[in-house]
Amino acid sequence: MDFIREYYFDFGIMGDNFDAILDGFWLTIKLWVISGVLSLLWGLLLAVLRQLPGKAVAPIRWLTIAYIDVFRGVPLLLVLFLVSGFLSAAQAEDVIPEAIGLPTWFGETSPFWYGVISLTLTYGAYMAEVYRAGIEAVPRGQTEAARSVGMSHGQAMRYIIVPQAVRKVIPPLLNDLIALMKDTSLVSVIGALEVVQAGFDVQTAEFNGSGLVLGALFFLAVTIPLARVVDWLISREQAKTQRGAGPGPGEGEGEAQPSGPPTTGMAGA
Amino acid sequence: MEANAPIPAGEGAQESYSGPMLSLENVCKRFGDLEVLRGVNFDVKRGEVVCVIGPSGSGKSTLLRCVNLLEPPEEGRILLEGKEITGKDAVEGIDFVRRRVGMVFQQFNLFPHMSALQNVCIAQEKVLDRKTAEAREKAQALLTRVGMADKVDQYPDRLSGGQQQRVAIARALAMDPHVMLFDEVTSALDPELVKEVLDVMRELAEEGMTMIVVTHEMGFAREVASRVVFMDQGRVVEEGTPAEVLGNPQQERTKRFLGLVLEH
Repeated sequence: MDFIREYYFDFGIMGDNFDAILDGFWLTIKLWVISGVLSLLWGLLLAVLRQLPGKAVAPIRWLTIAYIDVFRGVPLLLVLFLVSGFLSAAQAEDVIPEAIGLPTWFGETSPFWYGVISLTLTYGAYMAEVYRAGIEAVPRGQTEAARSVGMSHGQAMRYIIVPQAVRKVIPPLLNDLIALMKDTSLVSVIGALEVVQAGFDVQTAEFNGSGLVLGALFFLAVTIPLARVVDWLISREQAKTQRGAGPGPGEGEGEAQPSGPPTTGMAGA
Repeated sequence: MEANAPIPAGEGAQESYSGPMLSLENVCKRFGDLEVLRGVNFDVKRGEVVCVIGPSGSGKSTLLRCVNLLEPPEEGRILLEGKEITGKDAVEGIDFVRRRVGMVFQQFNLFPHMSALQNVCIAQEKVLDRKTAEAREKAQALLTRVGMADKVDQYPDRLSGGQQQRVAIARALAMDPHVMLFDEVTSALDPELVKEVLDVMRELAEEGMTMIVVTHEMGFAREVASRVVFMDQGRVVEEGTPAEVLGNPQQERTKRFLGLVLEH
């Protein structure tokens, strides 16, 4: 029993390596925030492209669907290797300029930016699906009302549909952000010294896991509050929906119009 | 309901054209194998109020949705102010139609993330490029006109069905439509809220707005309609003045329907 306690909870080792672990966690946070913001934007763009109407833009829709299928379907680790390998090789062969092949934007290392790119490519695909569920959950009557007052498809999406859709999918998006935060640890394999790598370095040097446990505590300090926020948002939304379901005032969702399929819930969020 | 603040009955542009506001010629629409409209013909003159009645599934709502091109018809022609708006020969596109034709829906379809005022302003600003102040002023006047002056900042989920529907009417009127389409706008309302909506529509009719009203409110049709059109199974079975169609129907089908609707 003592060994278990010493291996995981050696406070001396935690104290000695606190700064190194904290530095690693700071890098984790930066990876997470930048990739998170980019994924949220990229995912929304993909979702909107996927909803473009008309035959002329069918190729754009197909490409978007293909992209989402591919990046949802392959491991992030594989994407990391392919992105970092390609960019560094292309740069070495002078196919692309060094500023892109070996990026050091804002003082961060190339592995950091390879990580941001890979995380965004992958999580953008996940989030596109979440947004899509939200867009499809907005009653069809909203689009019809927007179009009937003369809005174009783009205006209806921008002012009417997307604002409602985003509100509906904030909880699942936050869940994806929690998953994204944990997956930033994968960027260590291409050389980013984030918190898991920092803890692992301690373990290798000291034959002790306390540094990793300290890293775990850092993660939990962010993810557990976020999970509670998600719960709170969901329960608030449920309370609202139940109130709206009663008689009297409430947003009319009612009968499906003869043309459209009935709106489904947030499938697969 | 406060008077003043005139509801625009579609000003400008139309004086030069004196034919029917709207002409439907052999309009057909199907969804898959289901033929919803099987050749509908009728005209609507400027300032007329045409009430369309008939059993569920007779194609009444689809007809309205064809007119504002939410469901473009597959065959036949629709002319708006003399200009063809459907099919390959269309001389005017969807913008021409949607800026002249306002629509009010059974389920209100107010934008739930916007206040009543914003609901009435948004399309004015984004579609007609009106300045914010101008759009607000217009919205305020229209909301006052429909008796919602004290609710301009409320969100739809705080409004009763009747109030939501009146805001929806104001939202459509804000675009200065030449024709208004009403798609069973009182069918989703509690009985005590029906009158407040019908009163607004009645005033609108008295102001000379051209209207097509799909409705089950026979009293409204009798009092307000210039003409009543009875539809069944995708066709116009009978049309005429309210006295003719409602008071002395010629067709068996019309008599049967009215017997079922009026006998209680």
